[in-house]
Amino acid sequence: MNNMKYRTAIEIRNAIEAGEITALEVVEYYLAKIKVEDKAINAFLETFDESALESARKIDAMKKAGEALPRLAGVPVAIKDNMTIKGQISSCSSKILENHRASYDATVVKRLKVAGAIIIGRTNCDEFAMGSSNETSFWGAVHNPWNLKKVPGGSSGGSAAAVSAGFVPIALGSDTGGSIRQPAALCGITGMKPTYGRVSRYGLIALASSLDQIGPIAHTAQDCALVLEVIEGIDEKDSTSLELDEKVVPELIEKNFKGMTFGVPREYFIDGMDEEVRKSVEEAIELIKQNGGEIKKISLPLTDYALAAYYIIQPAEASSNLARFDGIRYGTRAQTDNLWKSYLHARGDGFGAETKRRIMLGTYILSAGYYDAYYKKALAVKTEIFNDFKKAFEQVDVIVCPTSPAVAWDIGEKFNDPIAMYLADIFTVSANIAGIPGISVPCGENNGLPIGLQFLGASMQDGKILRAASAYQSLTDWHQKDPK
Amino acid sequence: MANIEFNLDRVAKLAMLELTDQERAKFQEQLPSIVAYISKLQEVDTSNTDAKTYLSDRVNVFRADEVCDSDEDTHSRLIAAFPNSKGDALEVPGIFE
Repeated sequence: MNNMKYRTAIEIRNAIEAGEITALEVVEYYLAKIKVEDKAINAFLETFDESALESARKIDAMKKAGEALPRLAGVPVAIKDNMTIKGQISSCSSKILENHRASYDATVVKRLKVAGAIIIGRTNCDEFAMGSSNETSFWGAVHNPWNLKKVPGGSSGGSAAAVSAGFVPIALGSDTGGSIRQPAALCGITGMKPTYGRVSRYGLIALASSLDQIGPIAHTAQDCALVLEVIEGIDEKDSTSLELDEKVVPELIEKNFKGMTFGVPREYFIDGMDEEVRKSVEEAIELIKQNGGEIKKISLPLTDYALAAYYIIQPAEASSNLARFDGIRYGTRAQTDNLWKSYLHARGDGFGAETKRRIMLGTYILSAGYYDAYYKKALAVKTEIFNDFKKAFEQVDVIVCPTSPAVAWDIGEKFNDPIAMYLADIFTVSANIAGIPGISVPCGENNGLPIGLQFLGASMQDGKILRAASAYQSLTDWHQKDPK
Repeated sequence: MANIEFNLDRVAKLAMLELTDQERAKFQEQLPSIVAYISKLQEVDTSNTDAKTYLSDRVNVFRADEVCDSDEDTHSRLIAAFPNSKGDALEVPGIFE
């Protein structure tokens, strides 16, 4: 089958249920497309052909037997390489885990399987999810489907590129400082980071435990809502997961702005940001205003400090989480009698430069003499940033702002300038620090490169930002555009 | 830029990282300037603020202290994933000289 009529998870699922297409045809289509077209993009590290086809046949057998089909029946989903899939390699795009075969499914993977989704493959990402351009992967950079010379964003660059290129309708990514939303913006698709604690982190190989969240990447907010419905919810295996006040129900999400107030934070429109990004976001805000939304100017005074707080908390927690990779259980044992040397060598050889840089930074931050000035200070600033947002959400329902200050840049352009790379996250990190949900939707383009619009919500108000995103997508068609 | 003291060797030792000469040269240049950037947090007044890692109110999230057996499948997968093993025993380098 050469042409796929259906683009979104909801369309595919409905078509399979209506008997218009079989799950097998769907999976065969995507596998064939990946085989030919992914060479240029490098979104997938591996496709699970045999098991995916087998799962598809099971769904088709269910359909034939007249059984009720589960929520995501027959829909292929790609999983970022830092989430465990039983029996498959989970390498976090790192050499040190190139042979690490997972012994259990992450809770999100288990829930997707129960919902009938088909785990079609694992996607490339920045090493250990550290990066904003998917250039630090041991398995090579990912290329932006809109322009192969450009980065797709990161760290979930593979998942974002896979959806953008039409290799899969939905994917999972993880977002610690913007790693779902920023690549979604750069690749012209929709990506959401749920409230911290909404989705279980069991099976997500930890980067920064107080910031990490798994979230959906898709063409539409509706699809993101459907995936969230399947994966969200408290998990006894993740002690940081929370009870939900209200589950997301995609069919009940209103697609209008009526009665909603939107805050526009002045600190998110800065000198040096791409003028086209500014223009597109301002046009989106105008569209919201013309369609029933009330716009309020607000201030988030600590925005300027969020990036610094992030680049203290994240490396500190990462240095602790990555201490376990020492060649004893994970990684290659060095051939040496000296135990200490074997640790140094396994880690020295197994980690890439960015990973080492952040471990060094985190170790320094947590070391005696510096712990109070940096880590403790950053945690206090974190509380203040949370309070900033709490105050803002007393006045508004949703905050609207850009996702990324720039569109996709050239592969290699910022690679040797860590601070320039870190500044790419300037509009996304605050949501991770405050633990609030955020979603990026496409809202324009600059020279053929996509621009992302971001909605942020109060803690556990994930439904509100899905509503804002759905409403925006009912009035615009940026999310319907595909590269090439 | 503030005078940032960054003892590369000390930090690398604490981090258990072996660095190539190229990495040492690069990090010696980059890390102090990153630390200078993050030092701007000193400008924020947090004298009345709690330093909290997790913002939720959940505390002491425990399960009952009950022993449960792992299933055979998980057991064999875990052993297979370990670099060196002899039967059911996992082999590690000696820690005493």
